[in-house]
Amino acid sequence: MDGPAVWITGTGAVSPFGHGVASLWSGLLSGEPAIGSVGCFDATRHTTRIAGEVELTEPRRREGRTDSHARAAAREAAGAPGAIGTPGAPGVLGASLANTGVFWGTSTGGMLEGERFWWDEQGPRRGRKAVAPLAAQPPGAPAASVARELGCGGPVTTFASACAASTMALEAALCALRRGEVAIAIAGGSDGLCELTYGGFNALRAVDAQPARPFRADRAGLSIGEGAGALLLETEDHARAHGRAALAVLAGAWSTCDAHHMTAPRPDGGGAAAAVRGALRDAGASPADVAFVSAHGTGTTHNDPAEWQALATVLGERARNVPVMANKGAVGHLLGACGALEAVVVVQALVERRLPPTPGGGPVDPETPVDLVLGDVRELPGGSRERARLGLSLNLAFGGANAAIVVAPAAREIGR
Amino acid sequence: MSVVVTGIGVVSSRGAGYDALRTAAEGDGLPLTEVDRSAGHHREPGPTSSRHAALVPDDATSSLPPMKARRMSRPTRFAVVASRLALEGAGLDPDALSGSELSAGTGVSLGTAFGATMVSRQILDQCIELGPGGISPFLFPESVPSAHAGQVALALGARGPNAAISQGEASLELALAVAAEYLVTGRAERMLVGAANEADTVLHALLDRAGALAGAGEDGAGRARPLDRRRNGMLLTEGATVALLEREDVATGRGARTLARLTGWVRAFDPSAPPGDWGTGAAPLARRLRGELERLGTPLGAIGGVVSGASGSRRGDALEAQILNATFGADLPPVCTPKGSCGEYSGFSLAATLHLLAGGRLAGGDFEPDPALGVVPASSLGADAPSVLASALASGGPAAWLVWERP
Repeated sequence: MDGPAVWITGTGAVSPFGHGVASLWSGLLSGEPAIGSVGCFDATRHTTRIAGEVELTEPRRREGRTDSHARAAAREAAGAPGAIGTPGAPGVLGASLANTGVFWGTSTGGMLEGERFWWDEQGPRRGRKAVAPLAAQPPGAPAASVARELGCGGPVTTFASACAASTMALEAALCALRRGEVAIAIAGGSDGLCELTYGGFNALRAVDAQPARPFRADRAGLSIGEGAGALLLETEDHARAHGRAALAVLAGAWSTCDAHHMTAPRPDGGGAAAAVRGALRDAGASPADVAFVSAHGTGTTHNDPAEWQALATVLGERARNVPVMANKGAVGHLLGACGALEAVVVVQALVERRLPPTPGGGPVDPETPVDLVLGDVRELPGGSRERARLGLSLNLAFGGANAAIVVAPAAREIGR
Repeated sequence: MSVVVTGIGVVSSRGAGYDALRTAAEGDGLPLTEVDRSAGHHREPGPTSSRHAALVPDDATSSLPPMKARRMSRPTRFAVVASRLALEGAGLDPDALSGSELSAGTGVSLGTAFGATMVSRQILDQCIELGPGGISPFLFPESVPSAHAGQVALALGARGPNAAISQGEASLELALAVAAEYLVTGRAERMLVGAANEADTVLHALLDRAGALAGAGEDGAGRARPLDRRRNGMLLTEGATVALLEREDVATGRGARTLARLTGWVRAFDPSAPPGDWGTGAAPLARRLRGELERLGTPLGAIGGVVSGASGSRRGDALEAQILNATFGADLPPVCTPKGSCGEYSGFSLAATLHLLAGGRLAGGDFEPDPALGVVPASSLGADAPSVLASALASGGPAAWLVWERP
């Protein structure tokens, strides 16, 4: 935790509730899921037929669905419409653009464009189709799209580490800011719906035919979603110098690997617990400082118990009493973007001092006895004497990757 | 805190092993294979289209138990074999890592430009032939771009941070930067770091249709000619390069041999670059490079050589030359271009960098200077300079530079 404090001074979101953090937040507070029918491909051929889909508003030539989500979220985080520097009229990022980095997470990248190309390539125009649309397909494309959009000249690095990708991107941004490599970072992630991923998760029998019900006794799998989350991160000094206030503080981050199984987490949650412990240590905080948890909470048979074990290992007796939100029940699993979108929700929860409920009915699984926020919006205890003030967000991924971040409220920085 | 390379593993078209790659770099380059064009995805053959790629022979990964290899894509197999070789080269037993006290401190950071393209295509073909219900649950996990990093961790018991980094032609260098960051911040004690790629016939066809690959020429040789007046594309390779990067105190503590020291990294982006192409932002890129080197405490005068990422791309190499000239001016040190013999995407430039740092040479050959670039490749690095700069520019805008020192 050497280095300056890192402030979160902007957030952006594209979610199945619509474009913008306000749409996301009001949708989450409603307690209703934004998971429904799929329009971007024919889902009737698949075993399940629902997803958290985003209405695409600004497709561009040679850019893909995931790029579009990424650009929109990043622009909002950076303070659009003024964010984009133009000659003689620099936006929020202004003169810092040359020293602004983009740290991004994705899993599918432009797979939707790739599969459309491939299926069309099988037709009579085989060998003759223009390949330019494939520029959107590599996993690195959304990050480059964001950097191009905002005119960033600093580092651009994409984590393609499946469902932990954007949380790892936040960790990388935090490190780069603390070390002085950048003054500002746009950190986040984006993913778009595609048939390969939709069909792949169905092949694993990991998708619920209904909207996902994380931590419920009768949960039957995840819901696929799409969208993007983005955070504008700055060193405290930089933000102060430019008159920007903190929404919250990115206090710590850590990542680990289970090295256990390609698609299933360690049942004892050991790898995830190590990530949480590391993030708390990185923040100079202790488990007693955790006020609430944004769980990975996919709603699959294996994830939720492993995550409960991780929380129980780190939080001890408090694990049953620390409020947990599981937003994948509302927006679906945004894969490489989920950590970033959930980080945006954590920031919003700290700003608004309340936690949105997790949609869906049914009792919490007694094997995973988390204090799941259900039904009504939960107020966060306030007051400067309240020790537990931190938001903890955790993500687990294919390949065993785990990543956690700790977010502190803006008023006081924990451990510094 | 500095970090050092203590082991290196390579899987290339010359087989498994670092020495095989060194031989290729010093000699006639990597063995090439004529790519099967029968599926009809290639453009019409001719002097400007590519015929070859550096494909890995099947026996290069035969050391993997078949029961494990069958669940791995080609790039995953390459990465696992290269990782085992890196650990062995560093004096560590790859079969003893799992469950040992080293396990939690060992992470993985692997680059990939495209991910597992063949597996993804197989799944899409299953979708056509059988419908989505025909997708294999065994193939799907290998289609995610992080599969190789996860499989390396699983095969070796590496429970530290596990990153898959994807940023085109700069994926290797950015994976190295991420790994070094994990080490200097105490997130890991050692990292298996590198890149892997597969070069299946469709990827070859699509890159060739995009005009990215070196044309076969009149003699059919299809050489990549970095910084040469006649350059017309890169050499597509498959394989993997993985190094064991350790915190220097950890490596010293166990008496490990040091191959190279990584003292810093610089990352940047050229927003003028369109998707899939190179931009025109040499001046701001050079400014950032100079500024960051100064911040890192590495004066330009200390850099005695450049291992250039120039690959033979017309526009990419031009941008590279402009950046080097804008950064160093008249004091440009010797510039080596290993991608002429070692090609693109499989991380071989890292192996070549270590080879050059150890005093090795690259094969010469006929070179015609491009007056517009003003950079003539050298066959070896300067002997006396303490630091060497390794560069990578990616189409679409990303850039990365690594500062290496001889041990």
